[in-house]
Parts: sequence; structure tokens; C-alpha cells
Amino acid sequence: MTDDATVLPAAKADTTAGRSRNDLHYLARCILVAVGVLAIAPFVLDFYAMNILVRALLLGVLALTVDMLWGYTGILTFGQSAFFGIGAYACALMFTHFGFGHGFAVLALVLGILAAVAVGLLVGWLAFYHGASPLYASIVTLALPIVLTQVVYSGGTFTGSSSGLSGFPTYYWSLTTWLWTAGGLLIVVTSLAWLFVRSDMGRILVAIRENETRCAYLGIPVSRIKILLMAAMGGLGAVAGFGYASFSNVVAPELTGFLLGTELLIWVALGGRGTVVGPVFGAILIDVSSSYLSGSMPFVWKLFIGVAFVLVIVSLPQGLTPVVTRFWRRVSGRKPQAAPPPRLTAAPPRHAVDDGRTPLSVREVHRNFGSLQVLQGIDFQVGRGELVSLVGPNGAGKTTLIRCLADGLERTGGDIVVHGNDLARRAPARCVALGIGRKFQKANVFATLTVAECLQVARYSLDPMSPWTRASELRLPASALRIVEETGLKDSLSVEARHLSHGLKQALELAMVLSLEPSIVLLDEPTAGLTRTERERIGAILTSLVREEGLSILLVEHDLDFVRQISSRVIVLHQGRLVLDGSVEEVVDSELVREIYAGTHYRGEEAEAS
Amino acid sequence: MTPAGQMLGLDGITSGYGEAIVVRGVTLDVAPGEIVTLLGKNGMGKSTLLKTIMGFLPARNGRVSLAGDDVTGVSPHRLARRSIAYTPQEQAIFQDLTVRENLVLGLPDKSWFDDEFARVCEVFPVLGERQRQRAGTLSGGEQKMLLVARALMARPRLMLVDEITEGLQPSVIHRLAGALADERDRTGVAMLLVEQNIQFALEVSDRWAVLKLGEINETGASDEPDAAARIADQLAV
Repeated sequence: MTDDATVLPAAKADTTAGRSRNDLHYLARCILVAVGVLAIAPFVLDFYAMNILVRALLLGVLALTVDMLWGYTGILTFGQSAFFGIGAYACALMFTHFGFGHGFAVLALVLGILAAVAVGLLVGWLAFYHGASPLYASIVTLALPIVLTQVVYSGGTFTGSSSGLSGFPTYYWSLTTWLWTAGGLLIVVTSLAWLFVRSDMGRILVAIRENETRCAYLGIPVSRIKILLMAAMGGLGAVAGFGYASFSNVVAPELTGFLLGTELLIWVALGGRGTVVGPVFGAILIDVSSSYLSGSMPFVWKLFIGVAFVLVIVSLPQGLTPVVTRFWRRVSGRKPQAAPPPRLTAAPPRHAVDDGRTPLSVREVHRNFGSLQVLQGIDFQVGRGELVSLVGPNGAGKTTLIRCLADGLERTGGDIVVHGNDLARRAPARCVALGIGRKFQKANVFATLTVAECLQVARYSLDPMSPWTRASELRLPASALRIVEETGLKDSLSVEARHLSHGLKQALELAMVLSLEPSIVLLDEPTAGLTRTERERIGAILTSLVREEGLSILLVEHDLDFVRQISSRVIVLHQGRLVLDGSVEEVVDSELVREIYAGTHYRGEEAEAS
Repeated sequence: MTPAGQMLGLDGITSGYGEAIVVRGVTLDVAPGEIVTLLGKNGMGKSTLLKTIMGFLPARNGRVSLAGDDVTGVSPHRLARRSIAYTPQEQAIFQDLTVRENLVLGLPDKSWFDDEFARVCEVFPVLGERQRQRAGTLSGGEQKMLLVARALMARPRLMLVDEITEGLQPSVIHRLAGALADERDRTGVAMLLVEQNIQFALEVSDRWAVLKLGEINETGASDEPDAAARIADQLAV
């Protein structure tokens, strides 16, 4: 695939020898078992059971799309039934009104997929494009099936309105053929999804779920990825719906409805979200058992399903899959094998562009929050190879200024020019493309990803991400490597970021930002919570970056001794205005800084520490 | 020390996350009116120890006592009702409430507000100016001040504070050191502080302890002349 360019032959051998081969063997065994079950099923099951199973398998495909959106990417969607309905109606409308045959079937399938993809793009754009809240996105997906159901209702004889369409000509294959077709589709789709979520690209989805803001500031086009995923899962949902309609020979508005959309969430939650197979089995088991229960207990069965759902969610919030896995491990005596962390290698050295233009120039920048003027006309420049410290009292507007530099939508007025390019109204991910890397004030990493995975996600814009495999090596620029090695992160590559101490989280985020190979680095209190020694180590790395690689760094810091050690220039912000801009000696020892910031108490700590 | 003379007693506390043991057999006492600071490099178990005392993490082994009563395994909200004020490192304010509302919520008795608020405003004047503002709009350092103010206003018997000086400007840190000492003199509160700033730690505390790989490696009184050098040695390696 795409990683040929980056992975050396030796590394490739590693991949096949390591987890990748294990994974593939495991997948192959699972596929064999599934195929075996499908092959035997027609000889064991009766007519009724076969009918139900075919439907359930197709709903399993639909549940899988919900798991990709909700379980992996964190998009709570009620709308997958709409795409299922689009596929189903594409089939029914074509066969009812235009004709039946292979050509018509292919045409209906293609049109159904296209329509679903188009609707997916539109809904995705509405829900995600403006960076709206997750709740808003969910409400958009809730509205979709409701709207679509109304469209079907108002379609008169064309859509069959509330009674739907039935009795249209379709493929009257044997039940066995249908079972194998639906089962084959489910196996293929599940296997591909299983490979995808374990790939480098799949990990980006989890990163988005964990921390969308951090993703955006790592240059990952979060909205675009979500919209595309929505469209792709819409298309897949339409395929399942097409199969459902051509098999059952009847479509009704309920197929597009939000009740089905909500039931899908229940199946996924019961099966275990974020596990690929869990939701598939959840869908199959619940659909099959409710079909039987609804026969013998026409009214009470929904109550049973409801109670079971509540019990499972309360006692097993992760769903049934982890329980089954744990049981299986105990029976088979297998231990979960943690993937070995990727090998760290150095990315080819790159020097910050020296095009003779000022890396960062800030003119008349204002930021108002309502009537509150937090920044009132800030002017300064940061040259190539400069480390500028930004100091000022708490609440002076330092973080607000950093935010304005990393997000073009943030400032109220003024111009920011980066290497001659106007920052204009660029969203954070596009500011990263200009060479800006931002570290947040509070350590901002991906909680459930390991240290190595966090760093891999940070390489999104530089190293190609394969949608099928995991890279066995992690290429980092020298600066990030140094931080990983000197802070001890190297020994914690397989540790989930949430288990790191506060200081190591800070170091990890700094390494992630440097992995972007930025030319301008914005650091908001990068050493908060670190001891003096750790701080000095980070300081040494930063100064060498500036000196040797020509980076420009703007750094918010409260420790004036640290500022004195590392800065080439200091600027002072006070009540939203830039009150001083000069050399370290001029600024740190000035009367003004003492008065508004350090207090008379401050006297430099060198004497103390020695 | 007899149990009667101790506010907080830790006896062989061991705790951690999953398979990782982070705190190993820590034994430490804090007397009423005493201020003790915990120092140590990152990942040595300082914050984990505070979380264990406060009941957010179960102690795998050992005993936590409060004024002589065994409180091992008591849940955080019950400990808070027994007047322990805990200020975590990760900021824990109510973003959508105003500064004033955040402070009122921390009070066991609302009638204390005016007196207590006037007192914390001497240390953090900015909280007085911004009392009607949404707490989420405060800067990082101001949010830290709000956290500390909320703990101080509750007139606790014991304060557990994680990195109180992080992100604060030097002049505020200095005022804060004075305020903590005043509070101790006035109410006899005991404090266990996790700190990185050696100067502040020695200025404010009576005793210090350095944690290393989850164990107390060295302790001392803050007024010994070589305290700063000994701590710096411990942290440098």
C-alpha cells in the first residue's frame, strides 16, 4: 500500500513477523469459522429461521456502520436507518416502476448508493462543517430519518405512502443462496472494517473521538474526515437496505424511520461499541430473538428486550463483547498480547524555511469577548531563530494571544502574517499547514491512545497513513526524539496517555507538537508542573531547536529564571496591551515587570538554588 | 506521635492504577496546624498519594486516618463533609457558573460568604473584580486562584493541594504563601501540599518530604539551612 515509500525492507519483514501476521492469522481463522457456520446453517435451520437470519445478517451490516460512526469516531447517530431506507426504496421503486432485470438491479444499486452518499455528504456537512457541538450533530442525524419518512409518506402511489411497496418482481433465489449472499457480504464488510480500525488511518478515528481539538491543532481535517465517513457509511447502509428490499420483497416507511435508527444504537451498545464484531452479533442476536419472541409473546417481548437492555447497560457498560472475550481467554488460556510499540527512527532533518521573510508578524491584533477587550492592538514580530518569551500577570491575555495565532477565526481584528502568508480566517488545521504548532496550557493528549500512538497521530500530515496496516516504525524529527528519550517517555511507549503523570503528559504533548515539524512553535506554559531539572532539560532542547534548526518559538512562562536562561527576547503583556518588548536584561529586570508581575519579592533564584 | 496529636495519619499506604503500583508504603503524619509539602520528580506518585487519601483511588494496603479515625476507603464526598478540602491539579471548577457561584458551592454554610470572600479577595483581588463573570472565561492562572480560594473559604480542618503555584505569576505566589500561613495561624488548618517550587515549599511549610518511585526518600524540617540544597539534590538525579 502507501507505506512502501516510508518503510524500509527490514522494517517490512518486522511487520509480517510481528503482530500483523498474528492479526491476519486470527482474522483468517475467524473468517473460516464464519464461512463454516454459513455453509452448515441451511442444513440445520428451518424455513422460518432462515428467513429471519437473512434479514438479521443484513441488519448486521447496518449495525456495523453505526459502530464505525459511534463506537470508533464518537458520532452518536440516529440516522443510519435513513440510508438503509434509501437503498431499500431505490430497489423497490426501480423494480416497481421501471422494470426488473440485472441491468435495472445494478442501476438501482448504484443510484441507491449515490443517493445515500449524497445525503451523507449533505447531512455530514450540516452536522460537522461548522464545528458544531456533538449534541447538535446528533440532532441533525435524528432529524434525517424523520424527514425521510415524511417524504415517503407524501410520495403517494409512487412510494406507496404509509403502506409501502410490495409484490414487485425481484430475485426469487433459494433461501440458501440468499443466506450465502447476505452472509458473504457481512463477512467481507466486517473483515474490511476489522482491518481498517486496526490500521494507522483507523486510529485517526479514535483520536477524533478522544480529542477533536487536539486533532485539529495537529493539522487533521476533522470535519472532512467525519463527513467522508458519514458518506461512506451511508453508502454501505444503502447496500444493506438494497439487499433487504430485494430479499423481503416489501418496503415500508418504518425502514427509514428513527425507531430503527435508535434500535441500532441499542444493538451496538449491547454488543459492545467500538469492537466491530460485537455490534454485528448484537444485531443478529437481538433481531433473531425478537422475531421469535414476537411470535410467541406478541406484546410483552418488547418489554423483555427493554429490561434486558437496561440490565446489560447498567451492569456491563462496555456491552457483552468484553465479557465474552474474557471468558474465552480463560477457557483457551490465551493472554491478551499487547502490540509491541513501533521502532523509533529519525525523520530526515529539515530546516525551517529561510525565505528571508519574517516567520511571524502580528499587526494590531484585537480580541473582544462582548464588551470585554482582552487584546487591544498587539504588534510584534518573531524572527527566524528567535525564542520570544511572553510574560505578564494572570489574566493579561497571553493564552488569548496564543489562541489568535493558531486559529484564524479567533481574533476580532488585525492581521497575522506567517512567512508572508496571511493567516486570514484559517481554521486551526489549516494554520498547521502554514507551519504553526501549538501546545496547550493544560496538557492535551489522547487519553486512551498509547504514547506511541499519540505520536503517530501527530505525524498525520507528514507520513502517509495506510488504511489497512500499521506502520512498524515511527519516524520522528530529532527534536521530538530527544524529548521522548530524555524525559523517559521512551520507556512508556505502550502506556496509555491517561496513565502518565502530569509532567509526562506535558512532555508528550510537546513531542507531539514538535513531530509536526513546525517552523513556528507556540508553547503555553510548557514546563508547568515540571521540576527545575526537567525544566532545564526541556529548555536546552528548545534553545538548540532555535539555534540549530532556525525555528521560531513563542513561549508563555511564569518562571522568570527560566525566561532569563532561554529567551532571545521577552515581550510583556498587561491588561491586553503589549507594554514592553526588548532584550532579556531590559525586560526581566525592569521596574515595570517588578511592579505589575513579579512583585518586590522576586529576586532571582540562582542564588537560592546553588 | 499519638493519634490525638495528628490531623492526617498515613500508615503504609500503597496504591496504583491497574497493574502499576505507584505509591509504595508511604507513612506520614500531619499535625493540626502543620504544613507539610511533598516534593518529587514527575511520576513519583505525589498526585496519586493525594488521590488515595481523598478516596478517589482505593488504597491497596495501609491506613488513612483523620484526627484519629480510620477513614481508609471512605468516599470523597464523605471526606469533604468531614472538612477535608482537596484541590486537584487538573482544574475542577464549574465552567458555566460564575466565580461567585463556584465559591458559594464550596461553603458548608452560606452565611460565611461575605467574611470569607473579603478575606480571599485580599490575596486574589482579581476574584473580587470578576465575581459575576463565568468561571470558564477566566484565564488558566485565574482559575487556579479560584480553586484555591474555594478551598480556603470552606474553613477546612485539612487541605490537600496539588501544585498550588502552577501557572501563577510570581507576585501572586508570594501573596499566597503569606495567605496560607495566616490561614493556618487563624484556624489551625493542617495542610499537605504537592509542590514543584522549592522556594515556595520552604517558605510556607514546616516540614517537607521527597517522594521517589512511590516511597518517601528523604524528609526534613524547612528551617534547616541545607534544606533547599538537599531537596535540589533529590530532584536533580
